[in-house]
Amino acid sequence: MTLLEIFDPKAPPRPIGIDLGTTNSLVASVGSDRASVIEDCFGKTMVPSVVCYESDGTVIVGERAKELAAIRPSDTIVSVKRFMGRGADNEETRRMGPYRFVEPRDDEPNVVRFAVEGRPPVSPVEVSAEILRALKERAEDELRSVGGAVITVPAYFDDAQRQATKDAARLAGIEVLRLLNEPTAAALAYGLEHKKNGLFAVYDLGGGTFDVTVLLLDDGVFQVKATGGDSQLGGDDMDRAVAEIVLRKLGVSTEVSSRPEFIRALLDRSRSIKHGLTTAQAVDAEFALDTKQAQLRITRTEFEDAIRPLIDRTGVACRRALRDAGVKAEELDGVILVGGSTRVPAVREFVRAFFGREPLADIDPDQVVAIGAAIQADLLAGKGKDVLLLDVLPLSLGIEVGGGVVDKILPRNTSIPCGARATYTTQEDNQTGFQIHVVQGEREMAKDNRSLAHFTLKGIPPMPAGLARLEIELRVDADGLLGVSATEGTTGIAQAIDVKPSYGLDDAAVEQMLLDAFDHGEGDLLTRRLAEARVDAQRLVLATTKALMADADLLAPPESQRIEETLAHLKATISRNEPALITNAIDAVDGATRDFAGRRMNRAIAKALEGQTIDRVEKAVEHAKGIEAAHGSPLPPER
Amino acid sequence: MNPFEVLGLAPVFAIDLKELEKRHRDLSRALHPDRFIGAGASERRASLNKAVEANEAWRVLRDSVSRAEALFRLAGVAVGERDEPMASPAFLMEVMEWREGLAEARAVRDVAAVMKLSGEVSARAMGSEEVLASTFGPKKPGSHELKLAQVQLGELRFYRRFLEEVSAIEEAWQDELPR
Repeated sequence: MTLLEIFDPKAPPRPIGIDLGTTNSLVASVGSDRASVIEDCFGKTMVPSVVCYESDGTVIVGERAKELAAIRPSDTIVSVKRFMGRGADNEETRRMGPYRFVEPRDDEPNVVRFAVEGRPPVSPVEVSAEILRALKERAEDELRSVGGAVITVPAYFDDAQRQATKDAARLAGIEVLRLLNEPTAAALAYGLEHKKNGLFAVYDLGGGTFDVTVLLLDDGVFQVKATGGDSQLGGDDMDRAVAEIVLRKLGVSTEVSSRPEFIRALLDRSRSIKHGLTTAQAVDAEFALDTKQAQLRITRTEFEDAIRPLIDRTGVACRRALRDAGVKAEELDGVILVGGSTRVPAVREFVRAFFGREPLADIDPDQVVAIGAAIQADLLAGKGKDVLLLDVLPLSLGIEVGGGVVDKILPRNTSIPCGARATYTTQEDNQTGFQIHVVQGEREMAKDNRSLAHFTLKGIPPMPAGLARLEIELRVDADGLLGVSATEGTTGIAQAIDVKPSYGLDDAAVEQMLLDAFDHGEGDLLTRRLAEARVDAQRLVLATTKALMADADLLAPPESQRIEETLAHLKATISRNEPALITNAIDAVDGATRDFAGRRMNRAIAKALEGQTIDRVEKAVEHAKGIEAAHGSPLPPER
Repeated sequence: MNPFEVLGLAPVFAIDLKELEKRHRDLSRALHPDRFIGAGASERRASLNKAVEANEAWRVLRDSVSRAEALFRLAGVAVGERDEPMASPAFLMEVMEWREGLAEARAVRDVAAVMKLSGEVSARAMGSEEVLASTFGPKKPGSHELKLAQVQLGELRFYRRFLEEVSAIEEAWQDELPR
């Protein structure tokens, strides 16, 4: 923290990068010269991802909540990330833990909920929103005015987990500039630091998730070739492995070992034992059991034997990612270590042996993701046009067809944003509706994959079986989030889709949470809406004015006049205190600029492809010299 | 727009793969939604649509089977196993032999036999690709040429599936190996 800072009230809001981790979370920003993690007043960089709910309705986040976990284990949620986007029946809820889970009623969304003191049961989205709020406050203390945020997620997060993360940000009042994959963020931090080109693998073992990503760095473009992992594998599982050794050695009764206080204390001690074993060959620990004290010793060998299966699982994912990328381990130019769990010596040894080289770990593996996120936030805010991240879809997307089989529409490791269409037909005569089930995963049968959403499509005119033509389009945006649309081909009618997320909150549920939060005295929802609408409006005015100046020649006078009019109207509404009025004016500008935007984009494409002519000449020269003779492909003819 | 147009490439089978990568890269630099974060909704949408199109074109052209399919469509020939001529009995016999060979090698964990089969099939795949390259060159193919090439496309699809199976077997073996 800077002690003395001259505060400019007109300074633009600063974008931030957030690493919303399983164990710890961090917030970072790019200062005048470099990206750095924002510390609290005690100089701490990490906010423990722990949220404690008090009986009077108070919510405590971070270090203090972590201390409270020991005495209030069931009301203190630790490692909430592992529950994000998961159903109430998920296996994670059956693992060793001190929580009281609430079963959803039939009419409620199928999401995990924790029963806590002082309020109705909370979902992982709400718990995560508390952590995000705390991070935002920390950033505001330091930067005064905070803009949008890049929030990182494990690369292997599926659509439901990503959507849950975005919902949490919405609840916390944070504008999400982009959901960024953690390994890609780390690569960005390394790539810009070392200014290196080449093929890299990022091995990211965090508190709760494992990712491996293979990417190509080439003149500022970070192109992900393949990604793999396990969104339920991390340091927490190592803690449980230690806990199991401890339980075996202590020989405690199940009556004792099922008490929430005991479980919390056991898991916390297990974590310290794990940390101790990073440097020591053995750790002695003392456990208080009711009235007596128990002494025990755990050796590094015992620990390593216990976590061997976990490490082997990372190996399976690494092999697959390399194979998907079409790369051999020895072809890599470097391996980057990310995540606190890569401090475990056995993990490092595994990475060294697997990739046959010493991994890079010179940027603090706990901070590198947040730093990468801050750099990306800064880039998105318009700094540095030469850097671009091209990421991929981590898991295949498909639709369940007859017999419960999956029709894969978008294969894993497709570059995002992406989209693809598939056509289906009716099974029975006079069938007027379709049941559509979207799944994500690599297995052949729908039931073995992650169910993302069910859709019903109604209003198809009666006709004989096999005649209707239903075209479904799956789209994945740059955040890795799915969108679905459907058209019935014979009538050409685009159908409205009734979305029911399988393990998530629909829009109405998130909206209700927002309202509830404001009922709990979190200020005024209207004020927040107004502020958000104004930010959008000002941004649109700026962007549209710039576009009009740059490409006025693409507009016919009447069109240009219409844009000017809607823009003038928008400017006039910004000062009004009615968010709806502002959003309507935004929509009007949006409608008036639709065709213009399309033309501008085509101009950008023409320009991007035009640059090729010179390159092609250079290439032809290289060919003539025989430099690339071995490659031997014919040159495309001049257009 | 067809995928060749999207990336500004001549519609031939033997495209320069480095050039393809470069064009996709350059288009992405210009179109990626990251470039339009501060823009209005209409530009963000336009960028998303175009970026999806560029990625899709790149995906189609990178893979020899889908690239050939795109070229057949451009030539006005329907694509899909239902619309294509049946494989010859001789080819089907070969297929059966390869499949049996692979199943046997897998059962007895004969790594060398799997490698040998995969080598044979890869060589045949390259042969098919050469025919497709000469069909879809700078000159427009005649209907007879297209018919012959269709057979090669069908075979190439088989080779591809076979090689994928080989990869799956190798992967399964690797994952089972005790470290």
